[in-house]
Amino acid sequence: MKFIIGSDNDGYALKERIKRHLIAKNAEVLDKTEREDVSFAESAKRVAEAVAEGEGDYGIVVDLYGTGSFIAANKVKGIICAALTDEYSAHMTRRHNNASMIALGSGVVGEQLALRLVDVFSETAFDGGRQRIRVDMLNRMIREEA
Amino acid sequence: MRIAVGCDHVMVELKNRIAEYAASKGHVVQDMGTLNGERTHYPIYGKRVADSVASGQADRGILVCGSGLGISISANKVAGIRAVVGNGIDTVRYARQQLNANVMGVGGMVTGWGVVQDMVDAFLETDYSETEANKRWIEEIDGMVRDNGQMGDVNIFSDLLQKWDRGEYNC
Repeated sequence: MKFIIGSDNDGYALKERIKRHLIAKNAEVLDKTEREDVSFAESAKRVAEAVAEGEGDYGIVVDLYGTGSFIAANKVKGIICAALTDEYSAHMTRRHNNASMIALGSGVVGEQLALRLVDVFSETAFDGGRQRIRVDMLNRMIREEA
Repeated sequence: MRIAVGCDHVMVELKNRIAEYAASKGHVVQDMGTLNGERTHYPIYGKRVADSVASGQADRGILVCGSGLGISISANKVAGIRAVVGNGIDTVRYARQQLNANVMGVGGMVTGWGVVQDMVDAFLETDYSETEANKRWIEEIDGMVRDNGQMGDVNIFSDLLQKWDRGEYNC
């Protein structure tokens, strides 16, 4: 499994912790921000566009609250990004929304919870079936520029 | 303020309760549906509320689904919308202060009524506090999606709904 990750300065330490966790699990990790001091919007945009292009399976973005990254990532066509603070939402957003990205707040979730959220999210499958029309609707939104 | 509210078919009661709560605080509430438990699709209502806020018909929007996520994601797809998932009172306060969030999503399966009330208060009563930094963040976000004709388009999902009616989603 391949993860694309990114953060602003506030999310840097947690992003690095998540990276080590994923690499220890033998996952492939592509870091779109490394040590760069970029805004959460830039970080979310880089990761979301890479996920939308199929460069990896899932995207993870971190900033102080997760909210700015959540909003920005969802502005990219074809991206469904979930802001997570609990495990229930982590599995439901895969089952029902077919989310391909998560946004975490380094100031909101502790390290252990953050790693659990990453694991639960990435290990849960999409339900498909009737949930698919809602996902089709989300992907329909944001019209391509003429 | 004028508050647009919307929800999926599972969270009608909570949406109504939030609408009553906001009205009791003196706000004018626009209920954009759904209105009953008949199965429907959350992006329809997320978009309705988002369009209402983005076009200036409402000042803010509150959306409810199971996790608060799906319906907030649909709102964020609309140009000019900055939707926060209400997964903590402090997060909602931050989103108002720093991001001038204009829509809040609530997860009825995740959050109890006491926290929901406090989040509604934080969302409706916290002012945006402009700084050079957060002004730039908001410009960056808003610059990602400009309205290119989708706003207010109620037919955007028509062909998908026809497909649903033909049973092509296996349900």
